[in-house]
This record gives sequence, structure tokens and C-alpha cells, in this order.
Amino acid sequence: MTSPSAPSSAVVLEGVRKEFSAKVALDDVSLDVPAGAFLVLLGPSGSGKTTLLRCLAGIERPTSGIVSIDGRVVAGPGVFVAPERRRLAMVFQDYALWPHLSVARNVAFPLAGTSRTKGERTRLVGDLLERVGIGHLAERFPNELSGGEQQRVALARALAADVGLVLFDEPLSNLDADRREQLRVEIATLTRAVGATAVYITHDQSEAFALADRIGVLNHGRLVQLGAPEEIYRRPASAFVARFTGLAGEFPVRVVEPVGRHLFRVTPLFAPATTLSARAVEPLGRDGDVRLFVRSAGVTLLPETVRDGLPGTIRDVAFTGRGYEHVVEVGLGATLAKVFSASRYERNAAVRITLDPESCLVMPADVAEESR
Amino acid sequence: MLGLLIVAPVVSFLLLATSPRLFQQGASYFTLRYIREALSGSTGRGIFDSLWVSTLVAVFSTALATLVAWLVQRTNVYGRRVWGFLMWLLLLVPTWMMTLGWGDLLQPYGAATIVGVNSHWLYGEFFGPLGIVAVLTTAALPFAYFIVSAAMHGLGSEFEDAARIHGAGRVRTMRTVLPIIAPALWSALAIGFAETMSDFGVAFTLGYHANFPMATYTLFAAISNFPANFSVAAVIALILIVSTIPPIALQARAARGRSYAVISGRTRTPRRREFGPVARLGVTAGLAALFVFALGAPIVGAVAGSFVRNLGIYTASGVHLTTAAYQAIVHPSITGKSIGAPLALSNQLGVVVATATGVLAYVLGRRLGAGHGGWGQRVTDVFLLGSVAIPGIVLGVGYIFFYNLSAISTHLVSLYQTLPLLMLALTANALPGQTRFLAGPLAQVQPSLAEAARVHGARRWRTWRVAQLPLVARILVWGWLLTFAKTISELAISQVLYPPSQQPVSVTIQAYLGNDQLGTGTAMTVLTLVEMLGVIGVVLGLFRLLTPRGWRRIGWSGVRS
Amino acid sequence: MHTTTITPGIRRGRRATLSAAAAVAALATLAWPAVRAYASAKASGPTLVVYSAQGYDSAVVTAFNKTNPGFTVTLNDNSTGPLLQQIQAEGSHPKWGVLWVDGSQAFAALDRQGKLLRGIVPKVPFNVVGRANIARDGSFVPTGLTATGALVYDSSQISAAKLPKTWADLLKPEYAHMLGMNDPTQSGPTYPLIAGLMNYLGHYTHGSTAAAVKAGEAYFAKLKHNGLVINATNGPTLGAIQSHTIAMAIIQSSAGYGAEISTSPTMRVAYLNPVTALPGTIGIDRLMPVTVQKEARRFVDYVLSPAGQHVMQTGDPQGDSLFWPVLEGETPANKVIPALASVPMQTTNPYVWGPLENQINAWFTKNITNG
Repeated sequence: MTSPSAPSSAVVLEGVRKEFSAKVALDDVSLDVPAGAFLVLLGPSGSGKTTLLRCLAGIERPTSGIVSIDGRVVAGPGVFVAPERRRLAMVFQDYALWPHLSVARNVAFPLAGTSRTKGERTRLVGDLLERVGIGHLAERFPNELSGGEQQRVALARALAADVGLVLFDEPLSNLDADRREQLRVEIATLTRAVGATAVYITHDQSEAFALADRIGVLNHGRLVQLGAPEEIYRRPASAFVARFTGLAGEFPVRVVEPVGRHLFRVTPLFAPATTLSARAVEPLGRDGDVRLFVRSAGVTLLPETVRDGLPGTIRDVAFTGRGYEHVVEVGLGATLAKVFSASRYERNAAVRITLDPESCLVMPADVAEESR
Repeated sequence: MLGLLIVAPVVSFLLLATSPRLFQQGASYFTLRYIREALSGSTGRGIFDSLWVSTLVAVFSTALATLVAWLVQRTNVYGRRVWGFLMWLLLLVPTWMMTLGWGDLLQPYGAATIVGVNSHWLYGEFFGPLGIVAVLTTAALPFAYFIVSAAMHGLGSEFEDAARIHGAGRVRTMRTVLPIIAPALWSALAIGFAETMSDFGVAFTLGYHANFPMATYTLFAAISNFPANFSVAAVIALILIVSTIPPIALQARAARGRSYAVISGRTRTPRRREFGPVARLGVTAGLAALFVFALGAPIVGAVAGSFVRNLGIYTASGVHLTTAAYQAIVHPSITGKSIGAPLALSNQLGVVVATATGVLAYVLGRRLGAGHGGWGQRVTDVFLLGSVAIPGIVLGVGYIFFYNLSAISTHLVSLYQTLPLLMLALTANALPGQTRFLAGPLAQVQPSLAEAARVHGARRWRTWRVAQLPLVARILVWGWLLTFAKTISELAISQVLYPPSQQPVSVTIQAYLGNDQLGTGTAMTVLTLVEMLGVIGVVLGLFRLLTPRGWRRIGWSGVRS
Repeated sequence: MHTTTITPGIRRGRRATLSAAAAVAALATLAWPAVRAYASAKASGPTLVVYSAQGYDSAVVTAFNKTNPGFTVTLNDNSTGPLLQQIQAEGSHPKWGVLWVDGSQAFAALDRQGKLLRGIVPKVPFNVVGRANIARDGSFVPTGLTATGALVYDSSQISAAKLPKTWADLLKPEYAHMLGMNDPTQSGPTYPLIAGLMNYLGHYTHGSTAAAVKAGEAYFAKLKHNGLVINATNGPTLGAIQSHTIAMAIIQSSAGYGAEISTSPTMRVAYLNPVTALPGTIGIDRLMPVTVQKEARRFVDYVLSPAGQHVMQTGDPQGDSLFWPVLEGETPANKVIPALASVPMQTTNPYVWGPLENQINAWFTKNITNG
């Protein structure tokens, strides 16, 4: 994975470590981002993703390890390139717009020192503001804008820099849900339109899956998995990754017998009569406790009259517009959430659940506990 | 650098507490005699008085400041900008001028008599603990106000709303919300305490006349005999400095790692409490009364008093108004002691000292505000607040000890009795307070603003110029003006360190006041105050004129991005 | 559309930079004289600095510099307190060349420490009181005389005929709550007054002062009992007379005359027998280089010349200039001052009474001021 800085890689990290006094924020992180790719770093707060981004930007200096951008080492033994010489742009979580500058002057900031004439700059700024949909706000000051508008200004400023690498530090986390959706689409399309490589950090898995070409999952300062969104979703490397990328629920099971190399028949501890098929990411031994992790996409809700499947009780139901999402209790303390059905089941109704083996993952309990 | 500026001179002085022989001030290298001496008799009483007065003043000024800050920021009281501005003005007027003004106002045949008010009874009251606490409280008020007000700025009204919604009455709401700004309140208490402990202007005038010895006065008394007892003075100075440790400790406990107060970067503009028309007028009148008392009365007193010929003199024929005192400025009664050259010199000192202090305090304040809460920061914090409590005279005499050491003056640099040394001492004197003054607002500037500039291609200088300076320019300008004003009115250090034949204006004024020429002294004080306010007006005007529109969008207390 | 805003903004930014540069330039201009003065002071070597608390000192120094081109004397003009603090703090690396303040006790103390140049007395015709105030070893010289313990009173409150005639009279009930004086820890001329009274009441000539101190303490305790009012300095004490809080006070003669000729025409000065001479005194630093000492002697000679005396008598006409000259043939500047011969003036020994200052002031503060 840590091939030397091939020209096709826009960003390469090799064994990057960062300590703050006694605390290790990043621990031996290595990854590379192909040019033009959109990498999302996903992790809970404190996982080190912000530190990683700041090391990339040059705001923090790694304790050890090498950071290269476009084949040039920007941080390493005896080397540290200042942020302004790294040719990158960044969108901040708190927008970081200068409150004393108008929107137009905020966006024009990265253009200083370029060879463009004043007229070109003005045109470019106007263009960018139009593209992010706030052309009419050029003369305003940041505190006269809504949060969404402010973040559009920040996006325009990042694009104005016209550089190969754009960093995003949870840019949507301060926004309302509907604004978030709109702006996410704009980030995805505009960044790709200019052909920039993007590194984007977030703690929101749906945002990650929606945006990413590649996803890196961070936990406790370590990169625990790196891959395409589909790979992360289907073959999570650990219980932590499985949990952090969206589950309907999980419960302890016992392996009954292997069916194929990765396929097993298992039975829930609370319902020994029922057997289920599930995939294992890694080979499983016959003995030992294992847990079943269920993705919501693979859960089908059936009326109780269908005799097949796991019996359960509806605990909650929520209307989502295109249908209903249910919370189903399937056994002692085990519930499955976000169970979709086009028709509505009332609370306390008895139901049956069937699970698609593709959406059921089994892992040994020790692996499952490890990263809790 | 802080070492040469503050630590070495002050330590030189403090060493005398137990080791007078070091600077040829006594026979022994080590003795505890002076500690016993300082803790007994009137010096002991002075320390006790100072402690309780400072505590009381800290509490009063913080409570009053919190009330005013709430009124100005959270209600629809009239003239909100005016009150903020008047607080600044209050900060700029030194306590000895206030006392002089009060005295002039209430004196028999002082300013109050002009309008036919017999204030003699009040004169007696004023020269007592009551007057001392009142004047010191008004002097400490602006410090507390700016700290509390900055914290309230960052405190969204949602906290109040939440408490009210969950059924808390007004009192319980206050009890719930105030702890959120507790670090600021403690900070205000600590600074109010330290400022009051170190105040000399009031101790020297009111405290003395009321037979109410305070520590700074007894310190002064210990060194005003000949030969001066520097050792007892050193013990008192040490106690003054040490006395600021408990308030800082309490402040640190309350803060527990939270530094000043940006509670949320996304705080909405707070909702204001709408008073009804009558209450609104009433509250506004209350604020006006406060400022009339704190600022108006002494200023009117001094200005009017300077026109009374028989100021403070009882005659059967009533008051006589005259401009004689001002004529005496043009044609000074003492040959060679006009106000012109000293005033020019003081302005020059003010500009140099305010600029040097501003730069140093900016650098230190940023470090202090960086808020990692490590040991280094805590030590700096304690050191800086402790230094606020160092009386000017201690710094002044310490400077003579240290910079007149032959090791320093022959081998390093011979600065004693030169203008540069006076500038250094005045800078050292202003630096601790200025640093604490700037630390809060500087801490509120979010680091991402500078990071964004760097990431988008700006080098350090451009980052500072474009993304930092505009955000702090206003507070820097006000800080500059504060040091400028304090430098012009500074007396204790100027008196012992001014170079021969180059007299600062405060020393000249003191020469008249001390030579029984109250009228001329007062008139010179008024003239100095007017000139000072003129400079302040010009600087503020230039700031308005020369800075881009956006710079002035930054709130009093920093940034909301 | 955007041009309109961006361009002026940038221009304004440039203007701010320009004005910042202008401010730096202005600052440098302001600070430059200080640096230059410092540099030239270093270059020219040691100079004579006169440490003085006399109201007429700047007039005298200016006049002296005019008559003596080539060697510039500078003036450290301050209250007596800060001057003595500076001298004490300077220790064995003094910067003062001449000290010129009221009273001779500080000089006696400096002489004991070996810090005064001896034999500096100019050959001029001193009058009797003047001669009495010259140091025996010639280490300090009087330049003018005032009296401490002059009885300053408001003639609208008490007529000259009803004034006390002796110090003992002040203890009589008829003068209860009528008398004021200054605090010796606040007002320079007040300790010499107290010491002078002790000297007189204890009939001190030589030897132990214990009996004299005791007699004095007893006297002040009785004064206190009779309603003596203590104020800090001349100003508040005179104010107390003017506000009829008291009718008279024992303070420095020049302060009484100053009030009489400026703000309070009803103020008068009388003298009980005896009052204590408070000489304006001058002395030279022994540790200064010889060149500076030579200049210092010339300065002292000038002060005691007719020209110098004239400047002293005109420099501070409502204050310190109201003194009696110490030279034969010179008369006071203002007609309100009576002839020196008519004033019963005693001189105390500063070598005896100087060292007692802290002890006696402490007693006074405890028992009289705060008692």
C-alpha cells in the first residue's frame, strides 16, 4: 500500500505519527491517494482524523513519518514545508472566514501573488460565487450570511486557489440537515469538476459513502481500514468498522456449521430454534463466541402469518416519506433498527424477520470486543 | 527579557527584606528583623486594611460590573454605546486625579459651593473608609467590566432561555447562568483585588487624611524617612505580591482548564430583555447616576475647582471665580517650571512606552491566551498578576539598585538617569496589566482564521497583516491608549527615575501641589487631562479614518466568525 | 460589479500599511532625541547633577549655566523624599554631584557615612545665624534660612494681642483646639521643629538626649491633650485655619508668608521664643571625580554670591524665595518678612538630632498622629 511516491499518487503518508505531550494522536498511519481521487477519512471524534488533516495542511508537524504531496516530501526527517508553500486549499469546520473582509475579498484572498490581472481576478471571483450560488452576496460581510452561505463562501475560496489538493475539515457538521444535503452535492460535483484531489474528514458515514471514491476509517489514531466504499461496507475489517459504517443491530450467535469458505449457518443465542446464514470476513473457528452484525439493507419485514424467519415485536415505527422504518425487538435485548417496509406495522405487533446472508456478517466476539 | 525588565529590579528590591547588606543598606546579610517590624504597628495595620479594603472593592466592583455588563449587553437600556465608551474613559483617569477632583468638588468653597451646595459634611465622610472604598471601586470597575462583558458576549442567551423554560425564576436563572461565566468573574475579582492592593493614589491622599493606613502608603512612609528603611518596604512589597496568589488560585480552580470565554463559536445574537418605558428610563437614569458619580463628579470638581480663586479657603465673602490658575500656567509663579516642556516630554514618553508595551504585551498575551494550561502558562499568569500588585515605587527603586550596580553600569550598559531607563521602567510597569488586558480578547480570535490564510498561500507577515491584525487592531488601539494615559499620569516611577533636567509633567504638577499651590496644580492637571483626551480623540479619529470599513465590524471582545 | 468593492478595499489596505509606516517613522522621530541625549551624555563623560528640592532651583541652575558656558549643570528637581531615596539607593555608585534641600540633618548623616566633600565653605561674609549653621568640618553650608515652628495664625480669628507669648502658653485651656501642626512623616520641616522643641525644653547642650526627648514627648502629649490637630502638610494645615477648624499652626515661616501674600491676606506670622532655624543647605558628593567636584564648588560659590542670592530671591516669589539670607548686608525679598535680628532663632545640632529622626517620628505617629 505504501508504494513510493508514484506520480499518480497526489498524497502519500508513510508511517506518520503525531504526539501531543504524552498523548498519541496519530500512530503509524500510511496511505496514498491517487490524483483526482476523493478520499474520505471517517472516524469518531478523537480518532485522529483532524490531526491527520492538519498534518497534511502543514498546520501541525508530524512527530515522525513522511508526508508527500504531488511527489514532493513536505514533511519528513529534516524537512518541513510551510502551509503556504504546499499549494493546497482547505474548507474549515467553522468556515474561518475573515469577518472584516467582504465575501468577494475573502474569495479573492488566494489569488494574491498570482499572475492574474485585477480584472481577471474580479471575473474569477464573480464566476466562483455564481457557481456556488451566492453571486448576489459578494458585497456582504460574513456575519450577514447564514451558515450555509458562509460555507459556500469558504468553498469558493478553496476553489479559487486553483490547486491540486483540497482539504475538507467536517465542512457540513455545523449546518442544518437540508442545507447539508445541498452543499454535499456541490462539494462532490465542483471538486470533481476542477479535477482536484480531495481529502475530506467526517464522522458521518452516510456523508462518507455519498462522497468518497475511497474511505479510510480511523480509530484511536490508527488507520483501521482503507478501501472503496463498497468494500468498507461489505467487508469491514473489524467490528468497529462495521458498527461505524451503519448497522441495523447486532447480537451474539453460535456457529452451527460452515456452508462454504466464508459462509456459515449460525443460530442466535436467544432463539436456538432458528438458524441464519451469514458471511464471515475472515475464516472462523468452530468454537468460541461469535457475534452477528446486520446491515439494515438486508432485513425484510414480514407479517407474523409467514412462518419463516426470526420472530420479533415492533417497538417503534417512523414514517419516512417513501415508507416506514421500524425498530424490531428480536430477542432478549437484541433489536434491529431502521428496518424498512413499504407498509406500516403498528407498535407491539408480532412480526417475522428474514435476513439476507449478504448483509449478515459474523465475527469472533474477541475481534468484536477489541475495538469497542 | 522579562528578567531584565521586571524580575531583576524587583528581586533586587525584595532581597533587601532579609539581606540589607547586599545593596549597602544595612549591616547584615541575613536577618528576619524587618519582617517582624513590618508586621507590627501601623505597617501591620496598613497590610490588614489593604487586605480587607481590596477584598471588599473586588467584590463590589465585580458585582457592579456584572450588573452594568448585563444591562448594556442584554437589555434595551438607552445609550448602550455611550456606557461602554464611558467605561473606557473611567479606565483612563488615574485615581489621584479622581481624588483631587473629589477633593476640589467637596472642599469648603470648592466647586459644589459655586452652585450653592454646602458639601462640608460630605467632605468629612469622603475622607474616610467610605470614600476610599467608593473611589477604589469606581477605579476597579472598568477592569472588571471588560472582563465580565467579554465573557457575557460569548455566552449565548440559550442558557438563560433553557433555565427559564425549565421553570427557574429570575434568581435561580442567575444562579444557573453565572457559574458559566465564573472564570471571568473570578478573573475580575483577582484583577480588582490586585489593582486595589497596588493602588497608591488613593492610599496616599484619602487613606492618609482619614488616618487609615494602607500597605502602599506605609511602604511609602518606610522609605520617606532618611535614611530610608528599604528593608521594611521590601517586606511590604513582598506581602503585596504574595497576597495576589490566593485570588489567582481561586480563579484557576474556577477555570479548571477553560481559559477566558468563548463558550460557543456559534452563539446567536442574544435576545435583549425589553424593559417597559418607565423601567427603561429608570435603569438608564441609574447608569447615568453611576457615571456621574464615578466620572462626572471628580472631573467637574477638578475643572470647576481650577477656576475658583480661593479654592479650599474659607472667607466670609464667598467664592470667587478666576482664571488666575491658568494664567499661572502661562506665567508660572515658580521660575522655569512651566508645563510646556514637561507635557511634551510626557507625551513622547507616552507614545514610546505605549508602543513598546503594546508590542510586548501582544506577544505575551497571545502566549497566555493560547490556553494549553501548562505549567509555563500558569507561572506566567501568576507572575503577571503578581506584578500588577507591585507598586511603582518598588519598581523605581529596584531599577536604581539594579541598573546602578557597577557590574551592570560599567560592564553592560549605563542607563541610570537616562530617558531610556525611564522608558524601560514605565514599560515594565505597564506590561503586566496590559498583557492581562489583551490576553482575553486575543484568546477569542479563533486560530483557524490564521490557519486558513496560511493554507491559502499567505506567508507569516501577510497572514498577520490580513488575517490577524484587523481582528485585534481595535483592542490594540485601546490598549495603546490605556498605556499612553497611564504613562502620562504616572508619578512614583517618574519621580525617582526621570533624568536630570527632563521633567515629566506629573512630577511638575506634583511640585506645585506639594508646594501649596493647589490652584496651579489643579489647573495643570485639568490641562494635562484635556491634552490627553485630545490625543486619544485624534488617535481614535485616525483609526476610524484610516482603517477599512471591515476592521470596524469586529465586536468589542474579538471575533464571531 | 465586484470591481467597485474590491479595488477600494485594497487601496484602503495599502493606505493602512502606509499609515502604519508613517506611525513607525513618527515613533522613531519621537524616540530619537532620547537615544541621542543618551549617546551624547555617554560621550561627554560625567557631568554635574544638582539634586535639589528648592522652588528656585531651576532658576538658579539656568542662571548659573548662562554665566558658566562650557560646563553644563543638569538639575534633578524633586521633592526631598525621592531625592534622598535616590541617593540612598545609588549607594556607592552615586550620580549626584550637589545636594540642595532644606534642613541639615540628612547632610549630617551623609557626612557620617563619609559621603560629603569637606571644606567647601566659600569665603563670604555669613551673618550670625548663617555661621551657626555651617558644618564644623565644612561639609555643608547654609544658603538661606527659614524658621520652623513659626506661629502662623488667622488675624480674623485671633488678634495679635491675644496670641500665646511662650511655648508653655499653648497648653492653656484658652488655646484648646486652636492649634495645628504637620505630620513629621509627611512634611519635611516638621521633624526639625519637634527636635528643636525637645532641644529647647530639655535645655540640651551636649551629651545624652534622653532627658530632652522625654521633656519634649511630655510637652507634645499635653498639646495633644489640649486639642492639637495634625494634618499632613502645610496645605491641609493652612486649609484647616482657613476653614476655621483651627486658628493657628506651628509650621514653616515661608509657608505662612506665602499664604499671606497670595491667597489669604488675613494670615500672619508670629514667633515664640525660640523658633528653630531651618537652613536651606547645600553639600557636595565626595565620590565624584575631581573635575565634577571643582564645578560643584563653583556652583556653591555662585549660590552664595550676590548674583546667586538675587536669583534665589526671585525664583519662587510665593514660596521658597521667602527666606532670610545668610549673608551680611542681604535683606529678605519681601517686606512681609521682618528683620532676621528680630526673630528669636536657635540652631540645633544635626549630628545629634538627625539620627533620632526615625525613633522620634515613630513615637509621634503612634502617640500624637494616631494617638
